[in-house]
Amino acid sequence: MNIPRGHQHPITQMITEINSIFSEIGFVFTEGPEAETEAYNFDRLNVPKDHPSRDMQDTFWFKSTDVLEPMVLRTHTSPVQARYMEKHEPPIRIIVPGKVFRNEATDATHEAQFYQLEGLYIDKDVHLGHLKGTLEYFFSRFFSGKTEVRFRPSFFPFVEPGVEVDMRLLEGNGKLVGKWIEVMGAGMVHPNVLRGCNIDPAHYSGFAFGMGIDRLGVMKYGVEDVRDYYTGDLRFVNQF
Amino acid sequence: MKVVHSWLKEYVGEALPEADRVEELLTFHAFEVEGTELVGEESVIEVKVLPDRASDCLSHRGIARELGSILNVPLQSDPLTVPITLPSTDKVSVAISDTNACPRFTATLFANITIQESPQWLQQRLLALGQRPINNVVDATNYVMFALGQPMHAYDADKIPQVDGVRHLGVRFASAGETVSLLAEGGKNEDRVVTLQGTELLITAGANDGPIGLAGVKGGRFAELTPTTKHIIIEAAHFDPATIRKTARRHNILTDASKRFENAPAVQLPLYAQQMIATLLQDIAGGECQGICDVYAPKAALPPVTVSVATVRRLLGLSLTASEVEQFLLRIGAKVTTIQEGVFSVEAPFERTDLVGEENYVDEVGRLHGLSAIEGVMPTAVPLREINSLQYYSDRVRVALVELGFSEVITSSFQKKGEVQLQNALASDKSYLRDTLRSTITTVLDTNHAYADRLGLTAIRVFEIGTVFHKTSEGVSEHVALTMGVRTKGNGYTAKDDVLLRESIVALEAVLGVSGEWQLEKGVAELHFSALVASLPVPTAYHPFSKQADVTYQKVSPFPAISRDIALFVPANEQVEIVATELVNTAGALLVRHTLFDTYTKEGRTSYAFRLVFQAPDRTLTDDEVATIMEQIYHVVQQKGWEVR
Repeated sequence: MNIPRGHQHPITQMITEINSIFSEIGFVFTEGPEAETEAYNFDRLNVPKDHPSRDMQDTFWFKSTDVLEPMVLRTHTSPVQARYMEKHEPPIRIIVPGKVFRNEATDATHEAQFYQLEGLYIDKDVHLGHLKGTLEYFFSRFFSGKTEVRFRPSFFPFVEPGVEVDMRLLEGNGKLVGKWIEVMGAGMVHPNVLRGCNIDPAHYSGFAFGMGIDRLGVMKYGVEDVRDYYTGDLRFVNQF
Repeated sequence: MKVVHSWLKEYVGEALPEADRVEELLTFHAFEVEGTELVGEESVIEVKVLPDRASDCLSHRGIARELGSILNVPLQSDPLTVPITLPSTDKVSVAISDTNACPRFTATLFANITIQESPQWLQQRLLALGQRPINNVVDATNYVMFALGQPMHAYDADKIPQVDGVRHLGVRFASAGETVSLLAEGGKNEDRVVTLQGTELLITAGANDGPIGLAGVKGGRFAELTPTTKHIIIEAAHFDPATIRKTARRHNILTDASKRFENAPAVQLPLYAQQMIATLLQDIAGGECQGICDVYAPKAALPPVTVSVATVRRLLGLSLTASEVEQFLLRIGAKVTTIQEGVFSVEAPFERTDLVGEENYVDEVGRLHGLSAIEGVMPTAVPLREINSLQYYSDRVRVALVELGFSEVITSSFQKKGEVQLQNALASDKSYLRDTLRSTITTVLDTNHAYADRLGLTAIRVFEIGTVFHKTSEGVSEHVALTMGVRTKGNGYTAKDDVLLRESIVALEAVLGVSGEWQLEKGVAELHFSALVASLPVPTAYHPFSKQADVTYQKVSPFPAISRDIALFVPANEQVEIVATELVNTAGALLVRHTLFDTYTKEGRTSYAFRLVFQAPDRTLTDDEVATIMEQIYHVVQQKGWEVR
């Protein structure tokens, strides 16, 4: 008897698709460690010590006896920005899909571990318009229909200006069409972050964005509870 | 931060639009808004002040100033531009032991205070903010805090020991083990004694510097106001934000005051707060201000920031003129001097402690102008510089294993036992990081075998590609593991599982063109995938991606499924699809899966055997319900002239 085909997990399906969309415009798939130093997870991203903005992300810490310097489970994929910029000269175009961790109570819209997609573009004369254009391109492809993007002011220590990004699908007949949906945080890479990686902000600028892949799946497939991704239940996985 | 619309209007003036328009202006030019609610007669807008603006916008004046900048109107009444007319007094002295921890401490002395209820208008404003009015003096301190963002505290001045007619206050660090008795929450009459570690800053009184409050966090019981209080001292100070933050967190006393102090409000604010409260107390408590004691160790002012129009344009992607940029900078209240064509020297208004670099002004210009003006521009496409090996080979493995009948899972990185323990785990059964995927894959096999009928599978085949963690002499190390598992029997591992697993491994290795060092045990095989990938040739291009048809996910029913088998003889020329459709249509919505598991043809007839799986989305099905459905199926089958075996 034939063995029926298995199913690829929706998160990795989305990552493969995201990579195919971004690789067409030259964004390199990049990874970094999940066990990250405090320095890369916070300090290098212009998040000051003892500052309320560190509270934005509740953090899992490693025991100090197990590590040579303070280490955390990365709370975002942003540390890979600094790791990559240190080793590469601009122009830089990368995406970083990966698992991240937050020490917070879980519910249908929050998991203590989830997948994030980071994007970074550094070159001469990169501006917020490039961020908008890139995201409109990505969402239009990912959601198979013309999509527009708008910005609202926001704050993240590693970007300035920082923006909240909403998207609206203009075509098709799905549930998403016609509604503004908040999808991610983004902005222009903070000059302190660039300088920390020996990139001169007087010559180069760039945008960075970060969004939850789990949430993209909520929108794309109608997943109702983000915890379902990580139960190992094939009644879930085998629908994809 | 909740703000009362009428209170904002007091500062902005008639130019302030209605609450819904205020919401919209804030949303697209400043802050997210949670919504507006009507409390009594007052429209109260809940603003999510961004962390970088908690220094000036946890206040009505801050939000009003922001709206004035957005609307391009000057404030009709601005409490931060009033002249400071308080006389100084030598009846109060303040000694600060560490001016880094407390750069400024102001104390005003009031006489002839009558403690009573606040007037209605004041009570209403506090109630609109969800605050409980207490008495006129305490309400006044809270009012000024919500007005200007400067926390204040009132002491009964007659309880502060005097030396030669001078009331002595101090600010010093606690010594370890020292205790302070604090005011209870919500005006409850109870002692709340906190034992200190030595990192906390204290407000003290008298020649012996006894503690009377936890600086920046909570006032103490020692000089608490009573209904008969006649003289009061009002404190408005500035503390090191990190010190206040640490204290509030260590003792878990998070107050409106500590929230403001830890966000570095301007060091100039205390004087304006004292000026405002002096006027207020005169009106509502009959208090006569005897004067102010202002101990201040000013730090060097931040140098002006050079802002070039070229940078503003370059980062925003907007073609703004120099005079447009200048206008936006003026709108936030900055002092702007032209250094050369298109280059300004900019001094922030004192309350904007967040404006320290050119990038901050770029942000100001962008949001005041409106981010909606930014047009999307596609970056020019460039060739891909690099193919990521881990992603490339992970995808190869996924495609190959899916072909071999394996489904991919992603399981928790946390487990009950392991090598690497977290400092602060979510739960006791999640306090270690996984050092292998073996145990979660075994659990996944166990769990899913129970769903085999529901899934239409005879064996469960799963894999995961995920990070595992180890303790080494160099700290914590991690690598990516690839783990596969097979389970053919519901009651656990059997030797057949390993046989099937080995066959699949051989097939996978044929695709990859390399063999790996698998740890195979009890139906689960794990491989150091990072090491394997490193040994494989560097890929030169990703496989083309083919977009799948859209999937719409259906919530998995948590209720158990019931399986029934049915075998039928049908004429040999009858298509299996016809038979299946007949069964599906008859069974109705409760039939969630049908699997053909046996077929043979004999003497001009074909036998089809189906497993039918029934499940309800909202309840546990009973055997009787399923039996009724099966009866209907038998009935229809007979009508079709098919024979149930």
